[in-house]
Amino acid sequence: MTILRNLSIPLLIVTCTVGLIWWAFPEGLSTARTMGIVLGWAGCGLLLASLLLMLRETWLAQWLGGLERMYQWHHWAGTTAYVLLLAHPLVLAADVWPNSRLLAWQTLSPFSQGWPIWAGLLSLLLLMFGLAATFIMRIPYQIWRMLHFGLGVGVLLGLVHLVLLGISEPVLPILGLAVSFLGWRLIRDDFGLAARPYVVGSVKPVAEDIVEITLKPLADPTAITPGQFVLVAFLGPTFRDCGEFHPFTVSSIGANHEICIAVKALGDCTRHIQSVEPDTMVRVHGAFGTFLADRPPTPQLWVAGGIGIIPFLALLRAGPVNQPTTFLYLYRTEVDAAFLQELRALANGDQQLSLKALATGDEAPDFNSLLSDTQGLAHYECYLCGPPGMVAALRKDLHNRGVTPHQIHFEKFDFR
Amino acid sequence: MRRLYLSATLIFWVLVTAFWAGSLWLPPAEKIAAIAVDKLISPTELAKHTAPENCWVSIRGNVYDLSTYLPEHPSRPDILLPWCGKEATEAYNTKTKGRPHSSYADELLVKYRIGILASEKP
Repeated sequence: MTILRNLSIPLLIVTCTVGLIWWAFPEGLSTARTMGIVLGWAGCGLLLASLLLMLRETWLAQWLGGLERMYQWHHWAGTTAYVLLLAHPLVLAADVWPNSRLLAWQTLSPFSQGWPIWAGLLSLLLLMFGLAATFIMRIPYQIWRMLHFGLGVGVLLGLVHLVLLGISEPVLPILGLAVSFLGWRLIRDDFGLAARPYVVGSVKPVAEDIVEITLKPLADPTAITPGQFVLVAFLGPTFRDCGEFHPFTVSSIGANHEICIAVKALGDCTRHIQSVEPDTMVRVHGAFGTFLADRPPTPQLWVAGGIGIIPFLALLRAGPVNQPTTFLYLYRTEVDAAFLQELRALANGDQQLSLKALATGDEAPDFNSLLSDTQGLAHYECYLCGPPGMVAALRKDLHNRGVTPHQIHFEKFDFR
Repeated sequence: MRRLYLSATLIFWVLVTAFWAGSLWLPPAEKIAAIAVDKLISPTELAKHTAPENCWVSIRGNVYDLSTYLPEHPSRPDILLPWCGKEATEAYNTKTKGRPHSSYADELLVKYRIGILASEKP
């Protein structure tokens, strides 16, 4: 099952790309011209797969191994498509270069070729700027989203380029699929049609700049397991967040389907959410994530940094652990130690759970001393959740101790 | 991924600039390569070349042998094939959808010119 899940996205990408090349493979042309055309279709197939991988649907995420995995492949497919599409016009121009340099330049120049090439060039420029927003610019999230939306327009313009060239098959079905995926994402995910209505029950401060918010379902509740996260938008008449869905890890799942999320003030929007009041309407979309799913019955090491405690807390609140578990909870200062008393009480009542909580200050934690008494780590399954720097340092440390990458589990929760 | 994006973008613009520069410094042979084919081809002769592997088309008074170009045409072959052996100026000027071909296409067409269409004697 795991192998099938791991292969699902590569198979999807290969099917889209190879299928399209096979359908539209040109015959009787020079090698360079054939390659130029194949590069264009390969880029087109990759972009189509990339559009499918940006959809936020729970059933799709389950099929494809989780939302984070989908996003990683979405980035890979999009960037690879961009590189192939850059090469596409260059190889076509190179094909005619030996016969006529003028014709080679006219192959690239939109001033020589009119609207079909203008559409292709604009498409490439939109892809270029959209990806620059991801890879280069340090810009606010809202502006990044707008530029990233331009990537979708770029994909459509690329397909318009093909239609204007007079190629109707297989372009029109692809254009239909691309419009469907973009519309699906916009209406169901960004406008919230796929989300369910909840209402804020209570808001409780649990540490400095961290509140725990209880959400009560107003209709069919979302199915959630500990370790998963939901996308939440606050939409009350007197309170409105930043107008978009934010990912929050669920900190508890009640018997009456009430859920709790913990919100740390990490930016303007999450700071604003700290002041939300009971009875505010909320839209909840999810749940997503496979972070703590399918844990084997082997000894485990959990390491949480700061707000990264939440998925582990949700699991412990759901019941005692089934495996010998060493739990390392790191926080900056005592005032940042959210849920520490509750965690200590849970650890005292659970024979298999060993909790070590530590304030690390502003210095990077020294994992050599923290993990020195944990023998035989090579046989542990390790689950990490915290700031990216901490997770990266810990992965390196664990690797040096003989822990293989397959034994190290973490989620980036990065939606850019 | 970031490195791949940056290097691919840089190489793309360097090569585009190279193609543009290459078009400014044309080799002498290309400058004088204006094809001067003055062979007169009658409409009857034109009408004999209707097969995909032997496709002549008349556009704006000239006759072009498009046999080798047919596979390279971006649209489906059945768009162009019906015009083999015929006068196709109107179709070329409008692409049957009211849109003219580009100057690039005009430039490309020169390569395939084989003569001038003679007017039919009454």
